[in-house]
Amino acid sequence: MYGKAVRRRRAVLALLVALSIILLTAYFGESAGGGLHSVQRGFMTVVSPIQDGANTVLKPVRDAVGWFGEMIKAKDERNHLRHELAQLRASVVAQRSGQRSQQEARQLGNLDARAHLAGYRPVSASVVAQPAIVWYSTIDVDKGSSEGIAVNDPVINGEGLVGKVTLVAPDSAQVSLITDSSVGVAARIAGSRQVGIVQPKVGNPSDLLLQYLPSNSNASPGELVESSGTVVGNDESLFPPGIPIGVVTSIEQESPYRSVNLRPVVELHSLDTVQVLTAAPGSRPARVAAGIAGMPVGGEGSAAGGEGTPSGGYAQVKGG
Amino acid sequence: MRPQAPQATLALRIAGLAAVVVLVQIGVVSELPVLGVNVELTPLLAAFVGLLCGSVPGAVAGFGIGLLVDLSLVQTLGITSLLFTLIGFWAGRLRELRDPQAAIAPVLVGAAAASAAFVGYAVIEFLLGVDAPVSFQLLRDIVLGVLVDTIVALPFWLIVRRALLGGMPEDPRRRRRRRHAYSTGGLSPLSRS
Repeated sequence: MYGKAVRRRRAVLALLVALSIILLTAYFGESAGGGLHSVQRGFMTVVSPIQDGANTVLKPVRDAVGWFGEMIKAKDERNHLRHELAQLRASVVAQRSGQRSQQEARQLGNLDARAHLAGYRPVSASVVAQPAIVWYSTIDVDKGSSEGIAVNDPVINGEGLVGKVTLVAPDSAQVSLITDSSVGVAARIAGSRQVGIVQPKVGNPSDLLLQYLPSNSNASPGELVESSGTVVGNDESLFPPGIPIGVVTSIEQESPYRSVNLRPVVELHSLDTVQVLTAAPGSRPARVAAGIAGMPVGGEGSAAGGEGTPSGGYAQVKGG
Repeated sequence: MRPQAPQATLALRIAGLAAVVVLVQIGVVSELPVLGVNVELTPLLAAFVGLLCGSVPGAVAGFGIGLLVDLSLVQTLGITSLLFTLIGFWAGRLRELRDPQAAIAPVLVGAAAASAAFVGYAVIEFLLGVDAPVSFQLLRDIVLGVLVDTIVALPFWLIVRRALLGGMPEDPRRRRRRRHAYSTGGLSPLSRS
């Protein structure tokens, strides 16, 4: 009985394997118009409507399952596109930054030619940290004392005056912007000889105020205010003359002085490249800086770049 | 109306199940890639029929399923039949010789069946000179195909077992449960009579 079952099993297996091999050989050997191909085509003809019907019936199932797959795929694609978008944004930002740096460098070249920078050795530096809030108007640059930068060195960019150096490390420096309350600049309305002091406006540090102008001085909105290069008694200022500071927006009469509101010409919150005007050893600017640095706090002029009033009084001394 | 013989019922059930599975395979499963490959239910069906019903039904079912697949997909006739015949027969012999009772047995059998199908198909195509270079992509597809089939093996086993339950010669699990009940004091059919 057992032997019969074994023989039967083996016979079935051998038969089916042989049948498969015969089918395979015959199908593989015959042409496309052969008998087995015809049978296959006939089967297709019969089965196709069933398959179509099954496809239609099963479509909702396929769609439902496919929806989950598509969701996962869509999420992957979304993540991929987000990544690509981030890369493109970074690329655009880098490109724009490069363009702006080039533009600033061009403007700086123009300003160097226009302003009176004899005796200064300009050092170009990139801004590595911007002010976080409006009340602390300082920036950090990537050049320091190793490049000859010293405290009180004026800082400009292509548009005009930026501020002055207030802290120096070997490879970096902190620059106080002209909107910082510690900075005061001797300035005049372009074309006039009457000198005042530019300081940030109290309560609105983004705006500037040109103070201590004589009451008879003429100023009108839109006029340019630039550094004067001198303080009272023709003493030299830290800042070279002719550097644009701001544009007059309105005039206030404060007896016996006149004050002028200014809007800074420099976009102080989007600085990329600046130029630090370092003084060559033994030059006039170096001597002025040394003289100012040697003054006591509260002395005439400034201990750190604050400028005296034209009336012979003292500007509020600004720490540096 | 004469009642059908148990073997005829089983054959009908297997044929019906094979037709449905092939239709579902072609109409639904083949169009839903998982991990970049398609789930192949047909080799699992051949193996599970063998595992449930024995070597001869397994081999015959494998041959039929393979023929159906080759005819439906307009493939070279005989390749899938040959592979599935061997898979069904092997799974049936496993049942007859080892009678695997572990819950993981269907998963392992499914994995082995899928591996045999994928590798066997590649080897036969290669022997027949079909231009399919052995590449990393091919190996990756085979490995992922086996993995995916292994994942679906258990739920598919439950479906196949449920579909063939009425016509099966003897379900190994049912037999085990019965044997367990006798050994723990349950009533055997003999003691009841």
